[in-house]
Amino acid sequence: MEHNTYLPRLAKIIQIKQEVGGARPIKTFRTQFLNENDFSFRCGQSAMLSVFGKGESMISISSTPLIKDYLQFSILKMGRVTSALHEMEENGIIGIRGPYGNGFPLDRWKEKNLIFIGGGIGLAPIWSVLQTALEKKEEYGDLMLIYGARTSKDLVFREELQELKSKMPVHLSVDVEEPGWEEFIGFVPQNVTDKKPSPKNAITITCGPPIMIKFVIKALEDLGFEDDQIYTTVENKMKCGIGKCGRCNIGKHYVCKDGPVYSWAELKKLPQEY
Amino acid sequence: MEKILKKNSFPQWVKKFIDYDIYAPVEDGDFWNYSLIEDPKNINLDFLTTVLSPKKIIFPQKEILLEFSTSNNGDLELKERLPEEKTKVVFGVRPCDARALTLTDKVFGGDFIDPYYQKRRDQTLLIGLTCNTPPSPHCFCTSVEGSPHSTDGLDILMTDLRDKYYVESFSGKGEQLINLGKGLFETPKAKDKKELEKIKADSEKKIKRQIKNIKKIPKILKGMFESPFWDEESLSCLRCGICTYLCPTCHCFDINDEVISSSPLEGQRVRTWDTCQFPNFTMHSSGHNPRPDRASRLRQRIFHKFQYFVEQFGDFQCIGCGRCIAKCPVGIDIIEVLEKVDKYGA
Repeated sequence: MEHNTYLPRLAKIIQIKQEVGGARPIKTFRTQFLNENDFSFRCGQSAMLSVFGKGESMISISSTPLIKDYLQFSILKMGRVTSALHEMEENGIIGIRGPYGNGFPLDRWKEKNLIFIGGGIGLAPIWSVLQTALEKKEEYGDLMLIYGARTSKDLVFREELQELKSKMPVHLSVDVEEPGWEEFIGFVPQNVTDKKPSPKNAITITCGPPIMIKFVIKALEDLGFEDDQIYTTVENKMKCGIGKCGRCNIGKHYVCKDGPVYSWAELKKLPQEY
Repeated sequence: MEKILKKNSFPQWVKKFIDYDIYAPVEDGDFWNYSLIEDPKNINLDFLTTVLSPKKIIFPQKEILLEFSTSNNGDLELKERLPEEKTKVVFGVRPCDARALTLTDKVFGGDFIDPYYQKRRDQTLLIGLTCNTPPSPHCFCTSVEGSPHSTDGLDILMTDLRDKYYVESFSGKGEQLINLGKGLFETPKAKDKKELEKIKADSEKKIKRQIKNIKKIPKILKGMFESPFWDEESLSCLRCGICTYLCPTCHCFDINDEVISSSPLEGQRVRTWDTCQFPNFTMHSSGHNPRPDRASRLRQRIFHKFQYFVEQFGDFQCIGCGRCIAKCPVGIDIIEVLEKVDKYGA
């Protein structure tokens, strides 16, 4: 009989990094499976993480599939399970099942310029596809990242972003002015308008709070991007991850199975219920 | 295979089912419900609509998916809890309720097979009973591509011919059950066959309630997502969820951890029925809720059954049993709602 999809594989937390502190803390967890396994995933897919006794939560995988040693998850402390994850320590054991979802159609993006646009924790799902494209740079056109958060302290992967600047254009922003900040001040959509990425032969991938996504799409449309050049991810409450428990649907689509990645052209056709 | 079984031979046949757990409708106070039967003599096939359909036997209201614990040396251990039960035979399955399982099969099968559902499904035989007269005044199976003598999903269909049953099998497993009763069954005569056909034809005419123009509904709904219609229709809804809990085709569930001991850790992950009619069904941990009000939740229920499911699988996700109509405390009537949808489209 094939593997019972509800049965998580056990994994050890090998590294925890505090990305953001304060009232909305974000931590990045690296995990390794305890036993040999056949877990393989595509960029943009998610996994159902278990803290036994607390429950499960669907989290996007932020590491690239090219890394086989560990899986990485960057998690905002929010509900019961993510709060329990934030209390865990290195060497703690969690459960992982999946991967779930469609992932980004990277195969179709060969030779294209890729523009990544993220806000806050929204950089996590982008990070997997960005690192993959960067690693195979010769297969794609120009890469660019536009990323922002409320304050500089709310930016995730801060060290990695500094390193990234030597490899590709990185345009950071904070919502309001703060001492020592030399890059863009304003919301992410404003930074998009300011940096004017060209729609020519380009694909944009945008993840972040729904309100940010809404205005990023508007900014991109103003710059001449077509609906099928804009990709984003949708989040909904999930329990099963396999299109059966019935709560993450948008119309006939189950976000866990048919999503979370949609082009704006696809998303526009669905009922506005997310 | 088609056979005749005299009613007084029925208990003797059932007595041969020693390798099976037997379920049948049992009267419990004011209600009928499927229960485990100890003595075949207690099976009474003269019953009204059961409160719950046999769905609960295959997809129970609560089931344990796995157990977790920490061992003495501190290691975390998981134990898979796939159902380990005897094969079941369910008597007195209404044809609509059996059709409902062919619909939940589509949900629990597909790209990811649900092993818990599948195992119970494979180990349950369904023996139907033709509804010679509608068991509920709210029956409308003939409007949703069913019939009082539908054989979809059934291993055997029994039809009451007064002093005997006309027994038809539709699967190898069904034939095996009939073969267990060798000597008890007779070959149907032409007269029996004629009577069977008359009963089946009459049974359809006795269904009083119907949804006209049902085929148009999916298309009309598609243009009604933003309509204020849903606000008006849902005004009286109490958010109790009984319409979905009693529905033989509803399949939504929740998964939660139940802790028996926190140190050392011991607990179980359980699956329970859930309903799209509860506000927190879709509420994110951030507080954002894509279906924040009664209107969006009633719309979800109607759209899922008569629009999304049709697009996904080509079937209505409704078998016309009328349970949601009979038990809604404020009288929301799915037939009336759909008739208004039809008028809206006209």
